Amino acid sequence: MNYTELSADLVKKCLANGADAAEVYLAVDRELSIQVQDGELETIQEASSQGVGFRVFVKGRMGFSHCNDLSAGSLESTLKQAISFARLTTPDEHNVLAADPATSQVEGLYDPAIADVAMEKKIDMAMELEELAMQDSRVTRSSGSGYGEGETEIYLANSNGLQKHYRSSACFLGVSVVAEKGEQKNTGGEYCSRRFFSDLKSPGEIAAEASRKAWELLDPQMVKTQRAAVIFHSDVGRSLLGGVISALNGERVLQGASFLKDSLEKSFASSLLTIIDDGTYPKGMASRPFDGEGTPTARRVLVERGMLRSFLYNCSVAHRAGTESTGNASRRGFTSLPGIGVYNLFVEPGTYSPEEMIAATPRGLLLKGVTGYGIDPVSGNFSGGATGFWIENGKIAFPVKGLTIAGTAYDILNAIDMSGNDVDLMQSFACPSLRVREMQIGGK
Amino acid sequence: MPRRKFLEMGLKGGIAVSAMPALLSRLTSCQTGSLPPGRLGMDKEILGRVIAVALEQGGDFAEVYLEDRISRQIVMEESRFKSGLFGISQGGGVRVIAGNSTGYAYTDEITEEKLIHAARVASYVARNGGSIQPVPLEQAGRESFITVKQPLQEIADEKRIEMMERANQAALDYDPRIKMVLVDYNDEIRGRVIANSEGLYLRDELPQMFFIVLALSEDNGRRHLSRERLGMHMGFEMFEETPPEEVAERAAREAIAMLDAKEAPAGIMDVVMQNGWGGVLVHEAVGHPLEADNIAKKVGAFTGKLGQKVASDVFTMVDDGTLPNMRGTTNFDDEGTQMQRNVLIENGVLQGYMTDILSARQLNMKRTGNGRRESFRYYPIPRMTNTFIEKGKDDPADILASTRKGIYVQSLSGGSVNPVTGVFNFTCREAYLIENGKKTQPIRGATLIGTCMDVISNIDAVGNDLDFGPGICGKGQSAEVSAGQPTVRIRGINVGGSRS
Repeated sequence: MNYTELSADLVKKCLANGADAAEVYLAVDRELSIQVQDGELETIQEASSQGVGFRVFVKGRMGFSHCNDLSAGSLESTLKQAISFARLTTPDEHNVLAADPATSQVEGLYDPAIADVAMEKKIDMAMELEELAMQDSRVTRSSGSGYGEGETEIYLANSNGLQKHYRSSACFLGVSVVAEKGEQKNTGGEYCSRRFFSDLKSPGEIAAEASRKAWELLDPQMVKTQRAAVIFHSDVGRSLLGGVISALNGERVLQGASFLKDSLEKSFASSLLTIIDDGTYPKGMASRPFDGEGTPTARRVLVERGMLRSFLYNCSVAHRAGTESTGNASRRGFTSLPGIGVYNLFVEPGTYSPEEMIAATPRGLLLKGVTGYGIDPVSGNFSGGATGFWIENGKIAFPVKGLTIAGTAYDILNAIDMSGNDVDLMQSFACPSLRVREMQIGGK
Repeated sequence: MPRRKFLEMGLKGGIAVSAMPALLSRLTSCQTGSLPPGRLGMDKEILGRVIAVALEQGGDFAEVYLEDRISRQIVMEESRFKSGLFGISQGGGVRVIAGNSTGYAYTDEITEEKLIHAARVASYVARNGGSIQPVPLEQAGRESFITVKQPLQEIADEKRIEMMERANQAALDYDPRIKMVLVDYNDEIRGRVIANSEGLYLRDELPQMFFIVLALSEDNGRRHLSRERLGMHMGFEMFEETPPEEVAERAAREAIAMLDAKEAPAGIMDVVMQNGWGGVLVHEAVGHPLEADNIAKKVGAFTGKLGQKVASDVFTMVDDGTLPNMRGTTNFDDEGTQMQRNVLIENGVLQGYMTDILSARQLNMKRTGNGRRESFRYYPIPRMTNTFIEKGKDDPADILASTRKGIYVQSLSGGSVNPVTGVFNFTCREAYLIENGKKTQPIRGATLIGTCMDVISNIDAVGNDLDFGPGICGKGQSAEVSAGQPTVRIRGINVGGSRS
């Protein structure tokens, strides 16, 4: 079936059935997932699927419907459901569709070779990964290893004449193991996801990291409740900054549900903090040529030296705010309306190596794991469970588990006083290690 | 979408529950309702042929699962009906089990040809196995725990809108400091057909309703976003039992109460948890580690502890998929096993795990009715249903009065657990300081952390006021659940406050 023609044709059908404007979002997916447990193939799952979502405006009212049956009869009745459902909603002058015909050039989204690699080879990779991760004698059990891959094709058409398409691929290799010592247990997991099969890290590299994460936190000690420095390791950057990104959602801002709603063009964080959102990064796991409603993606500075430079918008929220879409319409597949989201995030690195940051810290926590929701985008509060290493006199002293850390976003973000040079640009949230001068730590 | 889900699931133990408090005070009596005719009209002969193909290469078990869903979601924000969403989804999945291996494939098109193809793909795991002879399919009987008085198919959309307007108005009327209300109405009818190589054939239709109210309060630059949920497997009569105003007023009350919240203290202290959705703490901390998949892999925190004392004497925990019309209730699980009441821990002693067909085989245990799946795009895994701490003897007022200093948790946002180590975390949504046996100052959303073994050993008081709340549980795939508990006191939890 020619989906480009089909999607354009469906837009016309929506208009013919009473919609004043219409958008068709059609997705075709293929997935394979392999899981290995204790040297045996545990599960293998393979499937292809497709579906289409219709967004229509009728006299300013929005209706949406979706179905995964692409027979002509089903498509027709589903699009009529969207038109009929629109009568329930309130007319809104901000109900607009994307109109920018441009598409961003993004290199390296699709690897045609993934599908050609033999199934046996993929199973063997997962088997080898598990075996290698179990080699250290401190690692006693496996929670399983896995390989996964997927391909997605997106076809978008709307009544502003947009007609766009892209295809992308991804593959994944990961493992989780358990280290035990007496009654103690600790888990360690590591994975790698890439657009291209040949870019996957070797099983040996992934296994070594998973294994180390499992055993390095054995024999933890407890520290007293106190205030001390906290170095957020680059792996936990998302826990620190994820809530900041959520607070930049332009719709939250308009609704008053963001702690940053009044901070545009103001300084709200340390001058060491610069955050860039890039939907065009070559081979980026979150890159794509256009967003969830067809606006071209871009590279955009969100936070510059602690100054808030931009909120995030899709078309309708931008219209309401009196500005242009930033190309940040996100979509969770064909079943959902466009929301607002980000692409590959880059936090600008500093000059210090992680070792130098530890050496410069007389007493504090090297944070390797955070549980909880991070910074609350509404109130700006932060509270989480913490694991990592305790630092005494500029040296790692012992592992710590079962601690808490807490504070407010303003206090924490303004207290960032060192940033590391340890950024992995292939992470979709690429963040260096960041030191917060002082935070409340809860212990015994 | 499946790819992203898979990548998100990763191997980082994607278990997290995010669900909000609600007090479902009344349960309807259990009656056998007659289900409307299903839409999945595939006959037994075809399903039998698919099962036979699935086992052609070998294997110990094969199953076909067909599904058909019609869903509606209407969202009201800032007093406007922002969007109406209508969804139609259908598909079928074929599963083959050979030894410890599972093969799974699905298709969006419910045709014999596509299902046979899926069966061939799924049989990949059984290339070298011995084979069993499938038993001819026969309709099985199952008790019904879901009654419907006002079928969703017969409800005019205007009635749905009316419930939302009533909730919106009630929240705004509660206090002028309520600045914004969001009402999220969801309903769904899910038809299921299950057929397997043991000769089982079952079909039913499951209605579901989920109603969420968020209220944003603001005063002097302070803000709190509260959330209340109401969710049942029943018809539209849900709103006769709990009017939308009640849900809205509970959300508004929390939003206003928490405007005065101050910094929470940090460190280890006693915690009293109010009855209701707080049960999500044991859902996470104890429930997930008692799901039998990790036990079969010998990595779960409770591996090898059956019959042992794992909790304090006052602690009894139950998973019961038969509580009439509740959000975790179905007539049978997604593998066709009859739902039942499963006592997991009784007076501190571990009694059993929650199994699906595969883990029950691996552990040589009985099937408990916990094999659930998000949709036909997933194979079933062990999941909870309605999970709760059984009621005790203490008067809730006495529990608070006898706690000199600590934290009173009225509701939790949600949390997660590592099922291997049993380490959990929770974020408080509404909490207060306890000073000299009284609830005093509201405190800002603090995280509670600990390990499952410690928390159930340190529960020293259990109230007589069992209550439930509805939620969504995520474990790589999502499931409708409820969690419950009476008022309980836990000695010594680490609280992540921002002051000493």
